[in-house]
Amino acid sequence: MQNQTMLDPTSELSPVERQLNPRLESLAGSTVGLLDISKPRGKEFLDEVASQLQELGAKVKRYSKPTFARVAPLELNQLISNECDAVIEGLAD
Amino acid sequence: MNSTSSQSYALVVKKACPTCELIEPVIAQLFNQLQLEVYVQDDPAFPACIENKIDDRSLEFSYHNDIEIVPTLIRTQPDSTEPTGAERVVGWNREEWEKFTGIESLGSNIDPFKPGCGSLTLEPGMPEILAARFKADTLKSRRVDLAGAEDIMEACYERGWSDGLPVVPPTPVRVMRMLAGTDRSPTEIIGKVPPDYVECSVEKVAINAVMAGCKPEYLPTVLAVVEAALQDAFCMHGLLCTTYFSSPVVIVNGPVTRHIDMNSGINALGQGNRANATIGRALQLIVRNVGGGKPGGIDRATLGNPGKYTFCFSEDESDPQWPSLAMDRGYQRGDSVVSLFAGDGVQPVLDQLSRTPESLARSFAASLRSVAHVKKFGMADAILVVCPEHRRVLKEGGWTKEKLKQALFDELMTPGTELMPGVDGIAEGMPEKFKDKLLNKFRDDGLHIVTAGGTAGMFSAIISGWVASGDKGSQMVSQVVK
Amino acid sequence: MDLESRGLPSGFVASTEFIQAAESQAATLGLKPASVFVQHPIQDRTNDEMKELAQTAIEDIVAMIVSNPQE
Repeated sequence: MQNQTMLDPTSELSPVERQLNPRLESLAGSTVGLLDISKPRGKEFLDEVASQLQELGAKVKRYSKPTFARVAPLELNQLISNECDAVIEGLAD
Repeated sequence: MNSTSSQSYALVVKKACPTCELIEPVIAQLFNQLQLEVYVQDDPAFPACIENKIDDRSLEFSYHNDIEIVPTLIRTQPDSTEPTGAERVVGWNREEWEKFTGIESLGSNIDPFKPGCGSLTLEPGMPEILAARFKADTLKSRRVDLAGAEDIMEACYERGWSDGLPVVPPTPVRVMRMLAGTDRSPTEIIGKVPPDYVECSVEKVAINAVMAGCKPEYLPTVLAVVEAALQDAFCMHGLLCTTYFSSPVVIVNGPVTRHIDMNSGINALGQGNRANATIGRALQLIVRNVGGGKPGGIDRATLGNPGKYTFCFSEDESDPQWPSLAMDRGYQRGDSVVSLFAGDGVQPVLDQLSRTPESLARSFAASLRSVAHVKKFGMADAILVVCPEHRRVLKEGGWTKEKLKQALFDELMTPGTELMPGVDGIAEGMPEKFKDKLLNKFRDDGLHIVTAGGTAGMFSAIISGWVASGDKGSQMVSQVVK
Repeated sequence: MDLESRGLPSGFVASTEFIQAAESQAATLGLKPASVFVQHPIQDRTNDEMKELAQTAIEDIVAMIVSNPQE
């Protein structure tokens, strides 16, 4: 792979490494999506995660990838991003 | 290698040079009799006659020693590889070389004279590439190294550098090339860009100018635009924070507009011309990236306007009797000047029937009334863009630009009673205290007149201004292009 | 990572077998996603064991998507 470099056009007040999106302020009232990547035992794991999150005040929505091997289809990603405030993907093994 | 003195020499050659090939026997002679380092720009196996040559395919030695021609023979400092200033010979000339080296009978079996070839350091595009390769430390900005799988265009989006349209990735070579467009030092600080009030260097302007798509020859104009935006009177910070529509509109006057081929004619306020498009955009990107001013952050404009991508054009200066905007503002016809106005979009003024300047002026005035709100006076400035056909109507009626300005002023004088809240069933209006006054739509120096556009079409335009105009807000500012 | 690109705080849960792969993908992408690793093996676990794994991991999982999570 070629090494590509650019010069930073910004004021350089933030770190140069790409940053993740800001996290949620709290679970209460947020909708968390759980995306099952469809590997064995994943559903059981996420069932418990869902129940714990609900106890902490979050709304939970469940989704699953049609197959493990391929990345999630575009429509699924669009749906999740429209319906949820945050998403947890699992369980890869 | 016996040397007759403690002098050492460096020879730069390239295989793809008939002269360098011709002098192979000379190289062998010199190598045997002098302290000589041979640098090869292309093929490290050349010349075959000697074993130890130095691979200069990176052109590092050639670059740092300003090699323009091959072969070049340099006399270096004793006991060092640092060459002394002018002590070199270029191209092959037996007499010169013998004198230079103190060695007789050089190349006695070959032609005594043959000019050299161009050094690889001077191939097209190479100066900037080599500058980026070896003068990297002159660029002070932080490097952003991409991960292997990152697409460089997407990377600019991911990092938030874009205004929504793709930007040109600012690689070191592109930035070096852009910086060559100005004599000003890359480290020179232009000013502090709001809202973060971070110092902005010429280098940062260049990086954003690259991203905007500017050519290096636009850089002096871009620098003038940034300087204008940072003038106090322009009130850039306030303009950024407003919920109103406005953002900088750039108008360029003078010889520079021809040098960089700006558009003042057909579709002047629209798309299609690289200089128009990218100069305006460069300012927006600088405000975004250097200043930190982004929509959703400090920019909370309710609706904004498309000019916030870019809004920049040059004025039509083809009529010597029509003073340019720069001239109105105290400059000479021959000065290259940028003027910035806190403005919104484009409001059409159609008038296809006025045959007299009087009638046309009334059309203009009637449309100008609606700037910001028909019942708000002295609040927003505006620019009236008179199209060439309307200019013709004025000229045929014997009117100067000054006369138009006066006529508009007179036409727009309005009694305060007509502008009171509630009048015409409209709650908006002027405060009570203005009830008994005669008001003008625009404050002093609040209405600017420029001319631009294609020669067909009786459509002029109004660019309305920010509702905080004047010394409590923004005023038009100008800056000479250096 | 696509969901992160769509503006959502996101994270993934994987078994410890995935630690290496995750590191190298982060290097390739230029971005390190939020992650929680649970002890391998997974596939032959009972329902109760999976439930327990989730209970042990839940604090870290919440911390992936919430800043300054409260107890």
